[in-house]
Amino acid sequence: MSTVTAPAATPAPAPARPRRRADGARIITVVAALLVALFVALPLYWMVATAFKSTGDVAADPPQYFPTHPTTANFGSAFHQYNFGRYIENSAVVSVIATLLVLGFGIFAAYALARLPVRGKAGVMMTLLMISLFPTVALAAPLYLLMRDIGWLNSYQGLILAYTALNLPFAIWILRNYFLAIPKEMEEVAWMDGASPVRTVVSIILPQAKPGIFTAGIFAFVACWTEFLIALTLDNDDAHRTIPVGIALFGGQFTTPYGTIFAASAVAMLPIAILVLVFRKAVVSGLTAGAVKG
Amino acid sequence: MSADQAIHPPDLDNSPKKRGRSRSGTRSGLERSSARLGWAFASPALLLVAAVTIFPIVFSLIMSFSNVNVTGDGFSLSGFTGHNFSIVFTSDLWQHAIVFTTLYTIVTVIVEIILGTAIALVLERLTASRGWMMALLLLPWAIITVISAQLWSYVYNGVYGVLNVVLSPLNGGHDINVLGGSFSATAAMAVADIWKTTPFVAIIALAGLVMLPGDIVEAARIDGANAWTIFWRVRLPLLRPTLSIAVLFRILQAFGLFDLPYVLTGGGPGDSTESLALLGWKVMFNDLKFGPGAAVAASTAGIVLIACLVFLKVFRSQVGSEETA
Repeated sequence: MSTVTAPAATPAPAPARPRRRADGARIITVVAALLVALFVALPLYWMVATAFKSTGDVAADPPQYFPTHPTTANFGSAFHQYNFGRYIENSAVVSVIATLLVLGFGIFAAYALARLPVRGKAGVMMTLLMISLFPTVALAAPLYLLMRDIGWLNSYQGLILAYTALNLPFAIWILRNYFLAIPKEMEEVAWMDGASPVRTVVSIILPQAKPGIFTAGIFAFVACWTEFLIALTLDNDDAHRTIPVGIALFGGQFTTPYGTIFAASAVAMLPIAILVLVFRKAVVSGLTAGAVKG
Repeated sequence: MSADQAIHPPDLDNSPKKRGRSRSGTRSGLERSSARLGWAFASPALLLVAAVTIFPIVFSLIMSFSNVNVTGDGFSLSGFTGHNFSIVFTSDLWQHAIVFTTLYTIVTVIVEIILGTAIALVLERLTASRGWMMALLLLPWAIITVISAQLWSYVYNGVYGVLNVVLSPLNGGHDINVLGGSFSATAAMAVADIWKTTPFVAIIALAGLVMLPGDIVEAARIDGANAWTIFWRVRLPLLRPTLSIAVLFRILQAFGLFDLPYVLTGGGPGDSTESLALLGWKVMFNDLKFGPGAAVAASTAGIVLIACLVFLKVFRSQVGSEETA
């Protein structure tokens, strides 16, 4: 695999024996890295390869390890025979709006919790952390009954409200950590000059906290894009299904159209894959926030 | 952003609390008004979170102690009763689900931590290609669980799944349907789970490894310790706080296990892979028994809460300066 290339040999000449041992260790490292890469990549390859196979080839015995008659028919059937275009639209609307709301509410809350003298701050932060880890199944029934009462089942606004609230806690954690790392001086100058609090946040904090806002935004978006349980509970009619619900309920009673499912899956994963690969440093920093002591 | 910033340690020691407290003896008017401002900034988000999470959690708890009647045009709660819990606690389904979820969590998390740490040690030694490996590792983390479940259900298919094709010669040419047996279905589900979540553990472990103080390792090396000893005696103990956080994150997630069994096994065969979350959801939305369903959900939440307390304990000992309220 071209992505895992052995780094150039160490330039410093070393005595013969240690160098041979170092070379041995280097080979073991590269082999191990290749195994890891295969472990991760093979299932993904299998999904993409299957997406390009005809219905007959999907169930071929022995399996086609490489699609011999590649076809895009599965993509057509995902969008025409099934309602996949609609699912993408639903997921996009809900995820984008919820993410923007998370950032809008989260930035001000995180600023207050990072900088302003809010009482019970540690308790608030701990509560938020626990909520962000709480099993969502405990929320399913009350949210369902609540949304049913106000007529928001099978709607965008119900799911957007739920996703905004569910993703705020973690976003506040990430944003607060970034805000704490910003030097206070510039804000104090702005305060002295009589800038309003909102203006201080918008024009002083936001530009400096861009990487953190990015990280929080990516996490919220990925969480909305991949969430299943609440979407299944609140929005299960065909016109309002998001991508995960659509893909879980794809197919008939007796057959599972894997080719179509994986064509749809590949399309659904493309935006996330691009987002994660392009902004992988922001994602890694978000993943490790809270896990690594500073 | 440089790599150093990317693995950016949260600045938990720089708590504003300390600064605030040192001045709190003489609270000026400005401080009081900024306290109001703090709540003005924080309360919209906090109220929203409370309305959509804390309120439903409390409501769910009330439901679990009530008779819930759902009708066409609404629902009503009546009476205070322990009936739901007595139904749940004495049912074989719940007893099986709690044992299954607990054992499944323990096994998958142990495997993930060992494998994730091993992968992190490999990644640490890579130089030029580390960025690419990190990118690759992020894909399983970011994949929609439902999609990975469909992917593995295709791999495990008892007729044309690729695993069957590989294994059936060992079985005298007979088809092998791993999702057909209780134990093999559980193991198959664990493999799918490990594939998706080990990269997360590896990334966290790698961040921990990179942050380790180099001089201690260097000192051990000068003292003549070999790589093996250095790992077990020096680096692993230093890495333990990071790993314990990863463990607790994973435990909490694993107790909510839902998407994977819903799609991959439907909880079957029989009820052998039915997690607490899946059982609770089915009782509520397939059987429309909201009272007992809420009791199952409450029992899940209770277990998670216990895990949270453990988490808090570990977490507090790590960020001593943060929790002073």
